[in-house]
Amino acid sequence: MSNPKRPVPAYEAPGSRPETARERAYFPELARGLAISAGHFLRNLLWSRDPSPDVLHRRGPNAVSTVQYPEEVAPYPPGYRGMHRLVPREDGRPRCVACYMCATICPAQCIYIEAGEYPEDPIEKYPVRFEIDELRCIVCGFCVEACPKDAIRMDTGTHCKPSYDRPSIVYGIDRLLKGPAVSHASDVWFKREGSDPPPEADPHPIPERGR
Amino acid sequence: MPDQPNVPPSSAASAPSGPVAPKPESPAPAAPQPPKAPAGFVNVEIDGRPLQVKAGTNLIEAANQLDIRIPFYCYHKKLTIAANCRMCLVKVSNAPKLVPGCQTPVTEGLKVTTNSPEVMDSHRAVEELLLYNHPVDCAICDQAGECKLQDYYMQYDHRPQRPAQPKLLRHKRKELGPTIVLDQERCVLCTRCVRFMKEIPGEPQLGVFGRGNHEYIDIFPGQELTSRYAGNTVDICPVGALLSRDFRFKARAFYLSQAVSVCAGCSRGCNTFLDHYDQVSYRYRPRENDAVNSAWMCDDGRLTYHRLVEKRALAPMLGRVGAGKPAAFAEAVATAAKRLEPFRGKAELAVLVSPQLSVEDLLAVAQLAKEALGASALYEGGLADGVEDALLLRADKNPNRQGLRLVAKAFGLELRPFQELVDAAEAGKLKALYVAGAEVPIDEHMAAAVLEPIEVIVTQAVHLDGLAGGSDVLLPASPHAEDDGSFVNFEGRLQRFERAYAPWGESRPHWALATELARALGFTWRRASARAVWDELRDRIPEFAQVDWSDLGPNAIRRPGIGLAPAAADARPPGYRERPVQLKARPPEPIQ
Ligand code: SF4
Ligand code: SF4
Ligand code: FES
Repeated sequence: MSNPKRPVPAYEAPGSRPETARERAYFPELARGLAISAGHFLRNLLWSRDPSPDVLHRRGPNAVSTVQYPEEVAPYPPGYRGMHRLVPREDGRPRCVACYMCATICPAQCIYIEAGEYPEDPIEKYPVRFEIDELRCIVCGFCVEACPKDAIRMDTGTHCKPSYDRPSIVYGIDRLLKGPAVSHASDVWFKREGSDPPPEADPHPIPERGR
Repeated sequence: MPDQPNVPPSSAASAPSGPVAPKPESPAPAAPQPPKAPAGFVNVEIDGRPLQVKAGTNLIEAANQLDIRIPFYCYHKKLTIAANCRMCLVKVSNAPKLVPGCQTPVTEGLKVTTNSPEVMDSHRAVEELLLYNHPVDCAICDQAGECKLQDYYMQYDHRPQRPAQPKLLRHKRKELGPTIVLDQERCVLCTRCVRFMKEIPGEPQLGVFGRGNHEYIDIFPGQELTSRYAGNTVDICPVGALLSRDFRFKARAFYLSQAVSVCAGCSRGCNTFLDHYDQVSYRYRPRENDAVNSAWMCDDGRLTYHRLVEKRALAPMLGRVGAGKPAAFAEAVATAAKRLEPFRGKAELAVLVSPQLSVEDLLAVAQLAKEALGASALYEGGLADGVEDALLLRADKNPNRQGLRLVAKAFGLELRPFQELVDAAEAGKLKALYVAGAEVPIDEHMAAAVLEPIEVIVTQAVHLDGLAGGSDVLLPASPHAEDDGSFVNFEGRLQRFERAYAPWGESRPHWALATELARALGFTWRRASARAVWDELRDRIPEFAQVDWSDLGPNAIRRPGIGLAPAAADARPPGYRERPVQLKARPPEPIQ
C-alpha cells in the first residue's frame, strides 16, 4: 500500500497503481480493455438503436445516446418557451386584436404590428401585419404575459429554425398563425354577431305595465 | 393659461398658477380671520388650504388653482354645466349632502373637502356605476391611454368589477357621419358632445335618446353628423365613445408624442398639438388659446396633417417630368445656381413664393431673391381660397400670407398676384423662375402647362405633384412640422410652432435651401437654425422689433445629443408627452 503519510497527488487516484500480479503483467489488462471496447462496438454495430429522442429512456442493447437532430428532436421540458404562435379563433382568424400590448412590453422591440378594421366582425380591430423578428427576440415571454386576449403563446415546443438569411427569420402572420384554436366563454363573438345590438339581447327590459 | 383672471389682483404676481397657495401679506398671521378679500373675490378653504378666488368660480376651477384635482367627466370649461355625471361630488360646509363641484360656485367662507373618506367613496361608487355597462374593451379602443375612465379607475376605484347581470349591448360602431364613428357602449352619457354641437358650432346634430339605463347618444333619424366641427367632439369625449374615422386604429394614443404646433390649414392659425410617433404625424389636436381658437379647430384643418406625410419630395431631382432623375444634394444645388446665374438681376427672372412658408423661411427666401437673384418683386403663390365660416375657418387657406406681406415690405419687394405670373409666362417674358413652395392657386397641371415654356425652373417643394414635376431642379423642402418657425395669422398674430421630428429623407427647411443656393451663387451666408435666420434678419421688419422669439413659443427643452427621433422603448424620452409646455401666460398680441 502506499505510504499514508505521503499526500496523494491529484492526478493519481487511489487504486490507480497496478496492484496485483495480473495488473503488473500489463498485457492481460490490455486485452480486457480492448475486449470491453470491442464489445460495445459490436453491440452498437449489430443491434439497432432505439430512436426514442428521450435519451434517458432508451431501451435495448444498443447504448448509443446520440440524438440525430434534426430528424430526432429532444422533447422540451414543460413550461419551455418555444417559438411564438398567434392563436387562431375557431373561424381561423387570429384572436389578436392589434392592441400593441406585446409590442409595448417587448424589451427587444421585435414586434411590429399594423392594425386594420373588419367591416363585420364583433371584434372590430385585427392585425393587418404582425411581425416578430425572431432574431431579436430574447424569448423572455413578456409578450405572452402582456396579451389581454390570450392571442400569443409560446407553446409550440419548437424553436426558431436557423437560416442563411435574416429576412426569413422575421415571421409574419402566415407563419405565426397556427396550432389549435382557442375560445373563452367571455369572448365577444359568443355574445353578438356584429357591432349592432342583437335585438333580443336586452338584459334589463323595461317592465311592461299592467293594463 | 386662461384661468388667470380668477386670481385676485393682489396676489397675481406672487402666484400665477403654481402649486403654492397665494399668501396675501397679512400683518396678523395668528388671526383666525382670513384677510379680507378684494372686491369681487371671496375667501374659501379647500382641504384646509386658504384661497382667494373670484366669486362665482366653480369648485373644480377653484381647487385647480391649488393643484387639487377634483375628478370630472361632464364638466368642460368652454361649455355649459350639465352636472350629470356626479363624478365631481365633494363635501362643502354649507350643505348636508355632497354637492357637484362643477356646478357649485364658491361663496365667502366656504370650506370644501375633496379627500375625505366620504368623498372618495362617492368617487369610487360613481366610477363603478359608470363601468357597470362599459364593455372594457380598452384593447381595441383608440382612447386607451388618454381615457378618463382608465385614469379615474386607477385613481379611485381599482377593484374588480362585481359579478353583475350581463351588460347592455348597444351599437358598437355607428358611423355618425363622414368623420365620426360612435361606440354607444363606451359612452358615459356626459352629454359634452351634445352640448358642444349645440353651443359652439350651433349645429345641434347630436341628441340623447331613451331613458335611464337605456339612454344613448345618437344622431337624429335620417340625418348625419356633417358639421365641420364634429372632430372636436372626439377630443372632448372623455371616453372612447366618439372616435375619428381618420385616426381610427392608426396608432395607439400612448405611443404618440406631442409637438406644439399651429394648424397650417387656413390663415386663422389654430393652435394645435401635432401628435407624432417615429417620425410620422398622426393627428392634430386643438391647443387652447382664447385669443385665437378657444379650444377648438375645424375638421378640414385636422386633416391637413396628411400633407405632412403624403406625396413628399424626399430627394433632389434634375430634369423635368419624365426625364427627371435623382441627384446628389450638392450637385442639385450647384446645377440650380449655374442655371440661375445668367438671369441674375434681369427682368426675365421671376420669383414665386408661397405663403405656406414660415416667417423664417420667407426671410431667407426674400433675402435670396433680393440680394442674390436681384429680383424686385415676388409673385404670391399659395393655395386657392376656399370656404369661410363665422366660427374659425378663414377663406385664405394659407397660414402665413400676412407674414409674406411683412417680409416682402421689409425687403422692398413688390408682391404681385399669381395671375400676373401666368400672364407674363404666357407673353413669353419669363426665362427663369425660382419657386419657394410649389403651392399654386390654380389647378396644378394647368400651372405646370403654363410655366412649361420657361427655360429654367428651380423649385423648392414639399410635395412631388404639380409644379415640382415641371422643374429643372427640384430641391426637397420640409414642411412646418419638421422645423421650428412661426406664422403670422390673418389678424397679424405671430405664432410659434416647434419641430416635431427631423426632416424626412434629404428634405431641408426652405431657409436652409435658400441659404445653400445663395452660397452656391457666391455668398457667404451661414445659418444653423431657423432661430439664426430670425436673429439675423428680423431687424429689417419693424413690427418684429419688440418680439422675443423664445417668448412666443414652445420652448422644447432639447437635450443635446438626444434627438426628437425615437429614444425610449415607445419612441420618446420618458415623459415626453407630459413635458410641460412653456407658454407665456399672455397670448401674443397682434403686431399690426
Ligand atoms: S418573448 Fe420577449 S423578446 Fe420575444 S417577442 Fe415576446 S416580449 Fe419580445
Ligand atoms: S359620446 Fe362621449 S361626449 Fe358624448 S355623451 Fe357619451 S361620453 Fe359624453
Ligand atoms: S363634472 Fe360635475 S357632475 Fe359631471
